Amino acid sequence: MRPVLRLWLPLAVVLSVALWLVLAARMLPVAQWPAPPFDPQVMSLDQILMAFGMMPRGVIALLAGAALGLSGAILQAVLRNPVADPTTLGISAGAQLALVLATILAPGLLAWGRWPVAMTGAGLAAALVLAIGARRGFAPVTMVIAGMLVGMTASAIATAVTLSQGQYLLSLVIWNGGSLVQQDWSGVQALALVLAAGGIGAALLARPLRVLSLGVEGAGGLGLNVAVVRVTAVALAAWIAASVSAELGLIAFVGLAAPALARTAGARGIEQFLALSPPIGALILSVCDGLVLAIAGQGGEMFPTGALTGLIGGPLLIWLLPRLRGSTPPGTEAAEGPAPRLVRPVRLLVTLGIGLVLAALILIWIGRVPGGWAVLDWDSLRAFLPMRAPRLIAAASAGAALALAGAILQRLTANPLASPEVLGVSGGASLGYAAVIFLAVAPGAALLAIGTMAGGAVALALVASFVSRRDMPAERILLAGIAVSALASAVLSAMMAVGDARSWAILNWLSGSSSAVTMPAAMALAALAATVLGFTLAARRWLGVLPLGADVAGGLGLPLRRARLILILLAGVATGAATVLVGPLSFVGLMAPHLARRVGLARPRDHVTGTALIGAALMLAADFGARMAGFPYELPLGLFASLIGAPWLIWLMMRSVR
Amino acid sequence: MSLFAIEDLVVDVPGRRLLDGIALDLPAGRVIALIGHNGSGKSTLLKVLARQIPASGRVAFEGRALGDWHARDYARRLAFLPQTTPPAEGMLVRELVALGRYPWHGALGRFGPRDHAAVAEAMAECGVAAFADRLVDTLSGGERQRVWLAMMVAQGAGTLLLDEPISALDIAHQVEVLALVRRMCHAENRSAVIVLHEVNMAARFCDHVVALKGGRLAMQGSPADLMRPATLQDIYGLPMQVLTRDDGTPIAIPA
Repeated sequence: MRPVLRLWLPLAVVLSVALWLVLAARMLPVAQWPAPPFDPQVMSLDQILMAFGMMPRGVIALLAGAALGLSGAILQAVLRNPVADPTTLGISAGAQLALVLATILAPGLLAWGRWPVAMTGAGLAAALVLAIGARRGFAPVTMVIAGMLVGMTASAIATAVTLSQGQYLLSLVIWNGGSLVQQDWSGVQALALVLAAGGIGAALLARPLRVLSLGVEGAGGLGLNVAVVRVTAVALAAWIAASVSAELGLIAFVGLAAPALARTAGARGIEQFLALSPPIGALILSVCDGLVLAIAGQGGEMFPTGALTGLIGGPLLIWLLPRLRGSTPPGTEAAEGPAPRLVRPVRLLVTLGIGLVLAALILIWIGRVPGGWAVLDWDSLRAFLPMRAPRLIAAASAGAALALAGAILQRLTANPLASPEVLGVSGGASLGYAAVIFLAVAPGAALLAIGTMAGGAVALALVASFVSRRDMPAERILLAGIAVSALASAVLSAMMAVGDARSWAILNWLSGSSSAVTMPAAMALAALAATVLGFTLAARRWLGVLPLGADVAGGLGLPLRRARLILILLAGVATGAATVLVGPLSFVGLMAPHLARRVGLARPRDHVTGTALIGAALMLAADFGARMAGFPYELPLGLFASLIGAPWLIWLMMRSVR
Repeated sequence: MSLFAIEDLVVDVPGRRLLDGIALDLPAGRVIALIGHNGSGKSTLLKVLARQIPASGRVAFEGRALGDWHARDYARRLAFLPQTTPPAEGMLVRELVALGRYPWHGALGRFGPRDHAAVAEAMAECGVAAFADRLVDTLSGGERQRVWLAMMVAQGAGTLLLDEPISALDIAHQVEVLALVRRMCHAENRSAVIVLHEVNMAARFCDHVVALKGGRLAMQGSPADLMRPATLQDIYGLPMQVLTRDDGTPIAIPA
């Protein structure tokens, strides 16, 4: 162990114990503390609160932290990936989605407790991410991107379901945030069992994991059944994480932080690593919980502890980035076989453009009425036009802007999984929106728009500061963006846990809507989309060279740093503007560039133009669906788009060349 | 004037010194091999010359310090081929070769008649004109390497830097690519600096050899200077034997 850690570890222990003691003593003077065995019959109310609230809470913080640390350590060891943990692999979000769905759609399932449900969700998410990873050689960065995308998708669906069932909102959101409030010792018993079983399992797995650390070929050569070890270890880690999720909700990033600190502490070899991570995790969560309680003071909890650990996650990922080894060489991320290539792309582009205009006209013309469909006559057309035209223009422009941002990012990073959602711009924008809602009294639309753009710009600046480092490979830029997204969602869930009208406003906006757009706003968005398209076309030569990698681009005299900065800025502005309208999650930025590629638009000029047209069409379709599917109620636009986009994304990641 | 004048060149990465006090003059108009054991710093040196990584010390290209060159001016004078060429997804051969004109027309300039002519000449010189309209990724390894060479030729640069251009090719394509590079240099008075693993290939196709060992200069001179058992043992730390072929050229094998 390094000397610094020899100092810090005891300090953390002292801090964690002292925090708890001070807080507990503030609740009840030490002299009156109840002694076990606890008997509620003879205790005062304060003593009951101490014995069945504060005391189990102190213990469960340690247990849950240790369990998450262990889970993260196992995942990092088996995937040989220093940024793997239940949060970054989407396991926790899977458990969360399953619980939300069960609570709302089939409460009967919860009769057997939350565990089976959480376990199912966690297992499905883990299986999905592993299946994606298996097709890409378990490349660390790809795994995390896949995991975070699966996690984001699960959260999006959970949000959608939550929105549709307002009465459950408060309890769901608080659970999502990961609160450590306890009412008895049952949670402690359950997690103690999980931790004990998990510890034994980890001890049994230690030796196979050490062999596996040689790599797949090496381990196979030594006679290790790699697949069995992998599945067993991931299943164990997912089980531990899901148990914590079921008991306490989403406590993010402890499983990432604990092994990282264990490694920094100089843990050598798998055994030391697995042994040192749980105590560190216990200390982290315990100190975090102490801090939350200390801040909350006597006035009750301000926000759940899980939100605070989420705040650590973003900065931690960013700190870990430069330490990530095993960067994937360009091209290995290619998702599909060779795409077709059109001889005369212009013809297709013109057809697309005409089709888009026709579709918009038809969408203005027809609509659903109670009992069927109706085509508007001239008079009602004139009446409806001022209402329908702005939202169609706005939706199409937002779609085009997002699609362009996606095309730029995919070409810039030579990674087919890049998209504005992944770059963290959307996350930053939502933070800006939430900040305005919380800081301003009755904010207007303009103020909200400015806040959203500013949030996006700050997130962008953060990511751009990474980009400006010349040796930073493209996929790490993606990871930096994901780190920003994680930070944003942690802050958001903390804000939403307040649970008043402002939380509703944020939840509503998160899923996006185009119903309240005015004509000037729609025209402004259209103008912006057109401007972005113009600049993107002007940068087409950069977009042609950059997918070949930094070596080639630099060798051709391309101003790498400047080009990256300009293109990132362009993508950020487009995303920020569109996000105001459709909310942070839509996946149009991911889908449109792919579709354009698959229909045979290969050269940068054609590809970019086609992407913008397809993005506009996709968003028009989403808008139509959002209006019609739940008639006469309107589904949120961004939500509808992401419900189309999520299956697409998973399909895309499942099929690959290798 | 020498092609590259290098003094006190040092490259550090955290915890390790990759190049240590290199002082070297590389002659112009020659095919120069850069050889050495694994980790000797030969690829690092090439990347410094290509301005791909920063270094301390003084390096001048054609009499001007590396830092004083504008990126596009440098690319007009010098072309660099990385060790692993990236897949050119969806790109036609002629489009890839046309990318070599970027230093001349920049991001916004017109792709004019001179650019078209340069691309056509480059494809003809490297013998890839026959598959100008094929997708790059459908070509064989040797053909693809020739396409990338054509891109460098289209760049119009007088100096070519190649990082192990033959490491992924079979023996016939190795000879084909190196012969092409040698012909290109001697016919048009170009210079080339090539990182090579194979001593015999270096001796056969290059005019001048620079050997590195542990980040320091081990020797430089003609292929004949290289092909001596003592020199080879010094460079690779392995006893080597030099045989003579029927035509009098030497070949080296581990003794």
